Amino acid sequence: MNTLAKLLRVYAVQIKNNFVREAVYRVNFLAGMATDVVWIGVEFTLFTVIYANVPQLAGWTKPQVYFFLGIFFASDALFTTFFQRNFWNFSDLVNKGELDILLTKPVHPLFLALTRWINLTNLFNLALGLGIVVRFGPEAGFQGGWRWLVLAMWLLVGMSTQLLLRFAFSIWIFWTERSWAITRMYYQFFQFATKPDTLYPKMIRYLILTALPFAFISSIPARALLHGLSWGEYAGLAAVLGCFLAFNTVMWRLGLKRYQSASS
Amino acid sequence: MKWRIAALVNGFKDATAYRVEFLFEVLGSAFVPAAIQWVLWYAMFKIGGANEIAGMGYSDMIRYTMVSLLFTQVRGGDHDFELQEMIRSGQLSNYILRPVGLVEFVYIRGMAPKLLIAGMALAVGSVAGMFFGISPGRLLGAMVMAFIGNVIHYQIGAALATTAFIWEEAFSFLMVKNMLVSLLSGELLPLSLFPKNMQWIWQSTPFYLYVYGPVQYSLGHWSHAYFFQQLAWSGVWLVIGWVLIRASWGLGMRRYLSLGG
Amino acid sequence: MIIEAKNVSRTFRSTKKAEGFKGALGLLLKPEYQSHDAVKNVSFSIEEGSFNGLIGANGAGKTTLLKMLSGLIAPTSGEVRVLGYDPFKRPIDFRKKIALVMGQKAQLWWDLPGVDAFDLLRAIYDIPSPVYKERLNRLAELLDVTKHLNTQIRRLSLGERMKMELIGALIHWPKVIFLDEPTIGLDVLAAHKLREFLKEFNRVEKATIILTSHNMEDIERLCSRVLILKTGEMIYDGKPEGLTKKGECRLRVRLMQKPTADELAGVSGVPAAAIKTPNGGPEADGEAEAEDEAEGHVDRDSVYFTTKVDLIPTVLQKLMAKFTIVNMGIEEQSLESVIQRLYTQA
Repeated sequence: MNTLAKLLRVYAVQIKNNFVREAVYRVNFLAGMATDVVWIGVEFTLFTVIYANVPQLAGWTKPQVYFFLGIFFASDALFTTFFQRNFWNFSDLVNKGELDILLTKPVHPLFLALTRWINLTNLFNLALGLGIVVRFGPEAGFQGGWRWLVLAMWLLVGMSTQLLLRFAFSIWIFWTERSWAITRMYYQFFQFATKPDTLYPKMIRYLILTALPFAFISSIPARALLHGLSWGEYAGLAAVLGCFLAFNTVMWRLGLKRYQSASS
Repeated sequence: MKWRIAALVNGFKDATAYRVEFLFEVLGSAFVPAAIQWVLWYAMFKIGGANEIAGMGYSDMIRYTMVSLLFTQVRGGDHDFELQEMIRSGQLSNYILRPVGLVEFVYIRGMAPKLLIAGMALAVGSVAGMFFGISPGRLLGAMVMAFIGNVIHYQIGAALATTAFIWEEAFSFLMVKNMLVSLLSGELLPLSLFPKNMQWIWQSTPFYLYVYGPVQYSLGHWSHAYFFQQLAWSGVWLVIGWVLIRASWGLGMRRYLSLGG
Repeated sequence: MIIEAKNVSRTFRSTKKAEGFKGALGLLLKPEYQSHDAVKNVSFSIEEGSFNGLIGANGAGKTTLLKMLSGLIAPTSGEVRVLGYDPFKRPIDFRKKIALVMGQKAQLWWDLPGVDAFDLLRAIYDIPSPVYKERLNRLAELLDVTKHLNTQIRRLSLGERMKMELIGALIHWPKVIFLDEPTIGLDVLAAHKLREFLKEFNRVEKATIILTSHNMEDIERLCSRVLILKTGEMIYDGKPEGLTKKGECRLRVRLMQKPTADELAGVSGVPAAAIKTPNGGPEADGEAEAEDEAEGHVDRDSVYFTTKVDLIPTVLQKLMAKFTIVNMGIEEQSLESVIQRLYTQA
C-alpha cells in the first residue's frame, strides 16, 4: 500500500512537470491538436466517400462507423496522452544507456521509464473523440445512461491493449540496435485498428483478434457497446491480453538481463 | 554537377547498407495500405452487395489498388523531415558553410532510394502488365509523372519545413501534409469516388499527380493528350514549388542567421 | 569498510559479426563468441567517508567497475559488498543510499527548470518537504546556482548543467557517491568550483566518494587514495603522493656532442635505464615520445636524466668534464606524467 501511495505521488509530480513543460511550448500543443484533427478528418472523409456509394458495410451503418471512429480516437488519445512519447524514447533508454540511471533509483525502473512523458494536451483529442461518440451515439444505437461507465471501461481496455502491443513491439530494442523497422511495422499494423474488425476477411480478422489484437483498441469496444459480445469473445479478450502481459513481463526480464550482461 | 552525383551515390549506399531492412520496409509500407483498401472493396462489393460505384466494379477497384502500389512507394515524403530536424537541432549551421544548396542536397540524397524503388516498380509492373494488358510505354510515362510528383511533394515539404525557423519544429505540419496527401493523392481510394460536390478538393492540389494520375494513365483511363496536358500542369506546379522554396528559405535563413545561427 | 571487493572479475562475451547478409545469417546459425575481460581479479576495500580516485586509460575498466559497485551489472566472479548489501540485488534500501552521476549522461529534463526535476526526485526518494527544501537551498548555495534553479536546463551552460546534475544526484543525501567523469567538458573555472564543492561535501557530510576522471587535477586536489586500473587489472592502490617518488626529478641537458646512453651512464654514474637520449636509449620508444608530447615540452635534441635532486650537481660536474653543455633545466615530476608513464609501460 505504501509503495502504491509513493508511485501515485511520483506520478503526480510527473503530471505537474509535464504540464509545466507543455506550457512552455504552446505551438507544439496547437500543432499536435491540428495533426489529430486532420487525421480524424481524413478517416471521416474516407468513410463519407464510401457511404456516399453504399448504404451499409458488413452490417455497419454510417452512424455506427462514426461511433466506432469516436471510440477509436478517444482510446487512442488516452494512449497518446499517457504513454506514446515514452515509447518514442524507449530506444534511447537502451542504446544511450539512460536505463543505467533509472536502475539506481528506488522505484521500479519500468514505472519511471513509462511515465516520464505525458502529453496532457492530447486530452483535447479525447474530448474530440468523446464528442463524436456523443454526436453519433444515439443514431448508432448507443443508449447512454449508466452505459457511459461501461464505455469508460472499454476505453481503458483499448488503451491497455495499445500499451501492451506497443510494448511487445518495443522490447526488441534490447536485442537489436535498429528498432525503427519494428516500430514502423507496428504503425503499419496499427492501420488495422482504424476499421471495424467485421469488415476484414476471415484470415486478417482472426489475426487482429489473437496474435496482433489491434481489434481490441476500438472494434471490440464499439461492438460491445452497440451489440454486446458473446461469452467466448470476453474470454478470448481476457486470454489474449493475459498472454501479452505474461509475454511482456518475461521479455522485460530477459531484456534487462541481456542489457546487464552486454553493457560495459 | 560533381557533388550532385556524389550525393546520389551516397544516398544509394545509405539505402542499400541494410538491404534486408530496406526491402522489408518497402514491402511492408506497400502491403498494409493495399490490404486495407482491398478490405474496403471486399466489404463494399462482396459483403455490401454493390455492383458498381462511380463507374467502377470490384475488379476495377482491385486493379486500381494493385497498380497504385507501383506508385505509392515512389511518392516519398520523409526527407523533408530531415530538413526540419536540421533546423530544429541547429545542425543546419554545419551545412550552410558548405558550398552546396542544402535543400537540393537533402533531396538528391533522399531521392536515391526512390529511384531504386521506381526502377523496381517499373520492372515488376512491366512483367505483370504483360498479363493484364498494361502497355510498358504508358507505365513509363506514368512513372515519369509519379517522379515529378515526388519532386513537387518534396518542394512542398521543404517549404513547410521552414516553419521550424519560427516555431522550433515543423514535425506536425509535415505529418498533416502527409495525411492529406495519403487521402488526396488517391493512395487510399480512387479519387473519382469522391462525391461530385467534393471533387474540387483533390483537383485543386497537385497531390493527384503522385498516384491517381499515374494509375489512370497506366490503366488507359486517360488519353495520351490528356496525360500530356496533366504533365504540363505538373510543370506549372514545379515552378510554383520552386518559387515557394526560394521565398520561404530566403525568409527563414534571414531569421536563422539574425538569431545567431 | 563501507565498500569491499574481493577478487572481482567481469568478462563480456560478444558475438563476432561478419560483413553483410551472410554474416547476419551466420550469426543466427552458428554464432562465434569472443570474450573480453574488462575487469580482472580486482580486490580493494574502501573506508567510510573517504574520497577515492579511480583512474585508467580509456577501456581500462573504470566504468565497468563503477557499474558493478552501483549494482548495474553483476561481477562474473568474485564478491562485491557496498554498505553491507550485494549491489546487484539492488534492494530498495541500497538504492536509497547511493548515487551515480555520469558526466556523459544527463538525467534531468532538458525542457524543465532544475527545481521541477528535483521535485520529482523528492517524490522518488520520499524526502520530507522541509528536509528537501533545506537540502536544496544548501546545495544550490554551495554550488552557487540559486539564481538558476528556475531556468530551463537547456538554457544553462555545460558547467551549470553539471552542477544541477549533482544537486539531482545528492538531494537524497547518499552515503556512497559514484562519480563517472563529473568534470568532463568543463572549463578550468567550472571544474575548479565543482571540485571545491565535492571536497566540501565529502568533508562535512562524510559521504564516501569514488570518482573516475581523466583530469589529474581532480585526483590531485580531491583524492586521498588512488586506484589505477590498466586493461582491467589494478596496478596501483594507495596515496597519490606515493606515485611521485619524493625528491626525484628530471634533469634536461643539451649537449654539443651526441653520445649514446651507455657512454652517458659511464660518465655520469646514472644507470642507463634512467637516461633518455634523442637518438634512442631505453625510454625513447614511440610510446614514451607520445608521453612527452602530451606533456607539451618536446625537446628532441636533449638528454633526460631521472635522478635524485641532491645528486644533480655531481652529475652535472661529471658531464661538464667530458662534454659541452649548451642548455639545461630541471623539471618536477608531475602526477600526470607519472600516470602517463604507468599507462604506457608494458
